[in-house]
Amino acid sequence: MTLLEAIILTVITASTPLLIAAIGELVVERAGVLNLGVEGMMIIGAAAGIAAAITTGNSWFGVLVAILAGMALSLVFAALVLGLAANQVAAGLALAILGLGLSGVIGAPFVGVQREGIGKIEIPVLSDIPFIGEILFHQDLFVYASVALTAGVWWFLTRTRAGLVLRACGENHAAAHALGYRVLRIRLLAILFGGGCAGLAGAYLSLVYTPFWTSGMTSGRGWIALAIVVFASWLPWRAAVGAYLFGGLTILQLHAQSAGVPLPSQVMAALPYLLTIIVLVVIMRARRGGAAGPACLGTPFVPDR
Amino acid sequence: MNITRRQTLTGASALAGTAIGAEQAAAQSALNVGFILIGPVGDFGWSTMHDVGRRRMESVLGNRVTSTQVEAVAPPDFDRVATQLVRTGCRLIFTTSFSYFAPTQRVAAANPNVMWESATGTATAANLAIYNARFYEGRYVQGVIAARKSRSKTIGYVATFPVPEVIHAINTVMRGAWSVDPSIRIRVVWISAWFNPGREADAARALIDQGCDVICQHTDSPAPLQLAEQRGNVFGFGQASDMTRFAPRAHLTSSINSWGDYYVSRARAVLDGSWRPADTWGGLGSGMFSLAAFTNMTPEEVSEATRIRDALAAGTLHPFDGPITRADGTLVIPAGQRLTDDQIRAQNYFYQGIDVAMP
Repeated sequence: MTLLEAIILTVITASTPLLIAAIGELVVERAGVLNLGVEGMMIIGAAAGIAAAITTGNSWFGVLVAILAGMALSLVFAALVLGLAANQVAAGLALAILGLGLSGVIGAPFVGVQREGIGKIEIPVLSDIPFIGEILFHQDLFVYASVALTAGVWWFLTRTRAGLVLRACGENHAAAHALGYRVLRIRLLAILFGGGCAGLAGAYLSLVYTPFWTSGMTSGRGWIALAIVVFASWLPWRAAVGAYLFGGLTILQLHAQSAGVPLPSQVMAALPYLLTIIVLVVIMRARRGGAAGPACLGTPFVPDR
Repeated sequence: MNITRRQTLTGASALAGTAIGAEQAAAQSALNVGFILIGPVGDFGWSTMHDVGRRRMESVLGNRVTSTQVEAVAPPDFDRVATQLVRTGCRLIFTTSFSYFAPTQRVAAANPNVMWESATGTATAANLAIYNARFYEGRYVQGVIAARKSRSKTIGYVATFPVPEVIHAINTVMRGAWSVDPSIRIRVVWISAWFNPGREADAARALIDQGCDVICQHTDSPAPLQLAEQRGNVFGFGQASDMTRFAPRAHLTSSINSWGDYYVSRARAVLDGSWRPADTWGGLGSGMFSLAAFTNMTPEEVSEATRIRDALAAGTLHPFDGPITRADGTLVIPAGQRLTDDQIRAQNYFYQGIDVAMP
């Protein structure tokens, strides 16, 4: 395996959890809801996933439980912001903190338990192609799932009627409501999808990436996923670009250090965020002061009864 | 909106530090001992081992002590937590991070009737003691083992921050390695965190991909070691606690922190009135830390490592004997001299032959 191959493989593994979580949050935000609790849902997924996997001995069951756990936590958020029309920023933050705390409780009995991670699958014949084979056809299922998710969400948002309705709820919930669409129900489904994706990303961390449990193991990846959604200007394929850029920069920075290249690592670490700000500036310029992102993002909707 | 997210990020990290795992004082007569931990008890490293020490103190001293522990306290929350511990009646408080040292000095001056102990620090006061272990002795043994085990003659080091504690550890690993084979080289990756399993694993991946086949780590999670196990033909060392079970085929030895006996002796000193401020820096011989059983090594390698470990513990081998030359070629001390503890604690340069950039 060449160094380039090794670097690309590492970038893919580092970017996958970011992409999965970002795609989930992207759908939520396109429906007009800002859920800042990605970090909390992600780590609940990580904790519940490995707890279930260790208890039952089945990693795939762990993945399922992780998705459900992320959804369950997002349901708490939905109850607050949809049911009670609470402030989304405050509720999202509360969710992140709740998730971090709760995950510690769930994970406590599993601290230090060693477990075999979910391995990669090898697609016969194709994985034998030099260079491309190793990179494209010898990955774990999560990597393929993240690509499928991106494609699926892109197709759903731009090519289906349901996607159009979801976007309508995000752009102008009053109009969508007037047309007879159930804004709250659609937003609830979007929030659940976001929670499931965050849980799945968490499962990737605790079952594939570093297969063990320690508190706080997501270490801010949920927040990076939020930044990626902005970076992507709410478009699925750009989210993939963003996730790979963010992941890629982190890995390249580590390699540069190890090779003794005198690059200031702090600048490299700040670069993704700097790019996010630049993208935001460009969007604002292009829209001449209009809303960046869905127009109703973050505004609670209370249907007139 | 980006601004909001930034603000929320800082807010969340500050708030996240308020999880309190407290046990209330039961008996009025017993000495209540407070502990403030920088990480979660479940970090499986630094904070876990302080918690183990606290429990050992409780089991040895029985009903003469009670303890109150607050975990995952971010430095900005320190004053509030420390003041709260004083109010609830703690008379001896251990603050277990260098990040707490400056605030501990401040709070100690404001509460002269409470004894304070800071795990790593640079100065004592009338009611403030400092304590740490000479972990570098373990690093020297790691260097010797790494030099024997490495076929690529390149050691990888997952480092945290460029502070003296980490810098002198890297220097000492190489001292040990060079004592076996002067051609050994080292690659270092700084991850700017004491604990971030994902990034620790990424750093180890980068090091291994660039040819390192023995990985040392200064970070707390078992992730780098576990990755070495996954890759195969790569070895690693555990940090803070015995990590053998995370990498049965890759683990060589672990540095195991053991604060229990120290906590027992200090609490006992407060109970019988003999507590004095002290600067304790215990090595392998003191029991403040030890090395886990050597694994995946030949009998010859084990006996060599054992011999070096015992020599360090007995004080017959000293990793900071001269001559010591900085990377830029200036001589620090000539042969025949030895760095003082203060010089070791202030080390901010790499030795000649260590071609590593400070971040």
